[in-house]
Amino acid sequence: MSLAELLTVAGASKSYNGVPALIDASLHLLSGEVHALMGENGAGKSTLIKLLAGVVTPDRMQVWVRGRAVSLSSARAAFDLGLRFIHQELNVIPQLSVAENIFLSQSYPRLAGVFVDWRKLNADARSVLHMLGVTHLDPRTLAARLSTGDQMLLKIASAFLGAERTNAAIYVMDEPTAALSSGETEMLFAVINSLRKQGCAILYVSHRIDELFKIADRVTVMRDGRTVATMPLAETSPEKLITLMTGRDLQQVYPTRENATPASPLLEVRNLSTHAAKAITFTLHAGEIIGIAGLSGSGRTELLRALMGADRIRAGEIRLSGKRLSRYSTRGAWRYGFAFVPEERRTQGLVVSRTVADNVTLPHLGAISRGGILLDSLRAQSLSETLGASVRLRARGPDQIVRQLSGGNQQKIVFARALAGSPAVLLLDEPTRGVDMGAKVDLYRLIRQASARGVGVIIASSDLPELIGLCDRIMILQNGRLVDTVQAAGLTEAGLLTLCYGAEMHSAAG
Amino acid sequence: MQQVNERPAPQPFALGRWLRRFGTLLGFLGVVAFFWWQKPTTFMTISNWLNITQQVSILGVVAFMMTIVMVMGDFDLSVGTMASLAGIVAALLFQREFPLWQAVLVALLVGMAGGLLNGLLVSFVGISPFVATLGMLTVFGGVALSISSGKTIFGRAIPEAVGGFAQGGLSLSGIGLPAVSIPNLTLLALGVLVVVWLLLEQTVFGRRLYAIGGNREAARLAGVRVRILRLIAFMCTGLGAAIAGLMLVSRLSSANPTQGDGLMLNAIAAVFLGMTMSEEGEPHVLGTLVGVLILGVLNNGLTQMRIDSYIQQILTGGIIILAVTLSSLSRRSS
Repeated sequence: MSLAELLTVAGASKSYNGVPALIDASLHLLSGEVHALMGENGAGKSTLIKLLAGVVTPDRMQVWVRGRAVSLSSARAAFDLGLRFIHQELNVIPQLSVAENIFLSQSYPRLAGVFVDWRKLNADARSVLHMLGVTHLDPRTLAARLSTGDQMLLKIASAFLGAERTNAAIYVMDEPTAALSSGETEMLFAVINSLRKQGCAILYVSHRIDELFKIADRVTVMRDGRTVATMPLAETSPEKLITLMTGRDLQQVYPTRENATPASPLLEVRNLSTHAAKAITFTLHAGEIIGIAGLSGSGRTELLRALMGADRIRAGEIRLSGKRLSRYSTRGAWRYGFAFVPEERRTQGLVVSRTVADNVTLPHLGAISRGGILLDSLRAQSLSETLGASVRLRARGPDQIVRQLSGGNQQKIVFARALAGSPAVLLLDEPTRGVDMGAKVDLYRLIRQASARGVGVIIASSDLPELIGLCDRIMILQNGRLVDTVQAAGLTEAGLLTLCYGAEMHSAAG
Repeated sequence: MQQVNERPAPQPFALGRWLRRFGTLLGFLGVVAFFWWQKPTTFMTISNWLNITQQVSILGVVAFMMTIVMVMGDFDLSVGTMASLAGIVAALLFQREFPLWQAVLVALLVGMAGGLLNGLLVSFVGISPFVATLGMLTVFGGVALSISSGKTIFGRAIPEAVGGFAQGGLSLSGIGLPAVSIPNLTLLALGVLVVVWLLLEQTVFGRRLYAIGGNREAARLAGVRVRILRLIAFMCTGLGAAIAGLMLVSRLSSANPTQGDGLMLNAIAAVFLGMTMSEEGEPHVLGTLVGVLILGVLNNGLTQMRIDSYIQQILTGGIIILAVTLSSLSRRSS
């Protein structure tokens, strides 16, 4: 492995409307390394990446690629210098095949100069995929049929393809695992390793600290627009990184659990079936936190959606505090006392064009209005302010437009809304996805506080340490079936992962 | 929200933002100033302005109600032919000597039923509003033509009270202006404006419509009954079209099966003009009011300047495009 410096950035500064977003940041990427970039939301990571991509003009910045001073003045310039960007939003075109998507930014091989040479296109796509160690994807499959993880691999293959011709060497991956299951993440890591072996440098942005320790060689930590430290991961610890990022000591990410007293059954689910969930039976007790683990596509989200009245229930029964609930809509679910934090805050959770107060009160408008008809703006404002304070929301006020807030703060609004109606059952789907560590700790504290008040909580998450740290019991789903339920105490991440996979082998055998 | 130390710095005054917000209003004032300069004696008079409000009242009613569906991110192309249909229905009932109130009631019910149909197609069948209301546009137009056999109903068939309503108004002699009165049609449009404003800005219903418009799936998951609300909103728009159709019959003292057809494009244009005035590009009924007034003032002023009506059409279209372009350019640059 050569340790040549591939990309060097020095003195990068950028301010928006006089507000500095990046102050004198520097970055050194070596050939053959995975370099983690960490920092809370708003620390300047995305600004730095935008400067590298040439889509934002810096106030000041010096860049060298392979020791040669260059200018990243446009997206084209960045591309020609060999930089590739893989974002969390996958711009895969679902109607096209894998091969077509891979070759999208290139010209397709031709026959007689006019017709697409499909045979060569598919063969080339296959060889690119093989070079990355991806053998399970057929180039002729429609991209729409791929899982999120496979779509991610497709985008990497597409970026890698350009690499052959333009000598690309630097990959910037922004939260690539945010939407991936554990299995898919492993696959991604294998691909990253094969890129590393070929001498590429990977700048890897993620909020999942445990993941960085698995994949990255060195880390650069950002705080308040500055790059505060760069060091090998082997010489640091998660605790030290958190301290560097937040500038404060975090005793523990997961709050300690008071001994749970045995409580009465709150939510009883019997043989619940929808299009994706199959005959699921479990009981949630008051004050209990149950986790749902499973590979992506295992039915985690669908189980929560069924309980929330968002997916049609085909069979089974749901009892809340002993009372059997007949078929209900999402509106009915909120009225019964379910509260929901959906998987995707931007597409399912928030109306980002509206204010904080509008979003917090949306499910509760009827309850805080005059006679169920007229708005009571004062009550809406004060409710939003009280809840905003309790979730430590950082906003100008209840009238601020949600679009202007950071991801972590947006997620806090979704939480504030869920907590607003004093719910009996909290249904949380990926509650901390794409949220920085400081906000995560706040959210964990809120979940624990709710549970201490007797609220039953169900958390579906692909973040295994989170499930282990937060839950009392963890249910393991596979293909829509509940295959196992384990106590979280004493469970290791590897142990839980094995259970998820074991479940897979088990169901494959059965 | 009590973390004062985290409070972001107050935003510096930005001309771009300010222009985006008030550019359309400034443009409106500019147009008014231009006509005032061109026609100093006739344009800026109370009677001319009352005349303008009467001219735009019918368009206003359609556009205000159209704002309700556009807040949800939908729109209704069938309002024009629905106005024609409702007018013809009322006129046919007048002709058959039904009592006035019954004829008016039936016409309004026809409007709501048409809106209900649109709503069912969009919300329960799941057809896009463009296709559903385009289809209904043709259907309503066809029904209007067939029940009237394509003939105009006028003269003695239309009761005098109907024509008299549009002629009348609220006299201002009480405040020392005996020569002028506020036309009844203007008052009616103002009433509709107030009701729509209350509905959208002061009720739970309106808040939910804005949520649906911003993110339909998020609204549904937050317990908003999206389907029912869309249905009700389309019924409102149908009702608005029927009211406008009746106003037209009153204004013209006659009804022909196509007289409302032109309302639709202008109503949608007015809402779009109004949308340029909101920060997030959402429709707002007071914005729609400005949009309606811009169209009305242009029409009035250009006519006073004896500009050919075909040229007027070109100018109006150009100004709409200009306003929306400027607004979207300023939004993109920020």
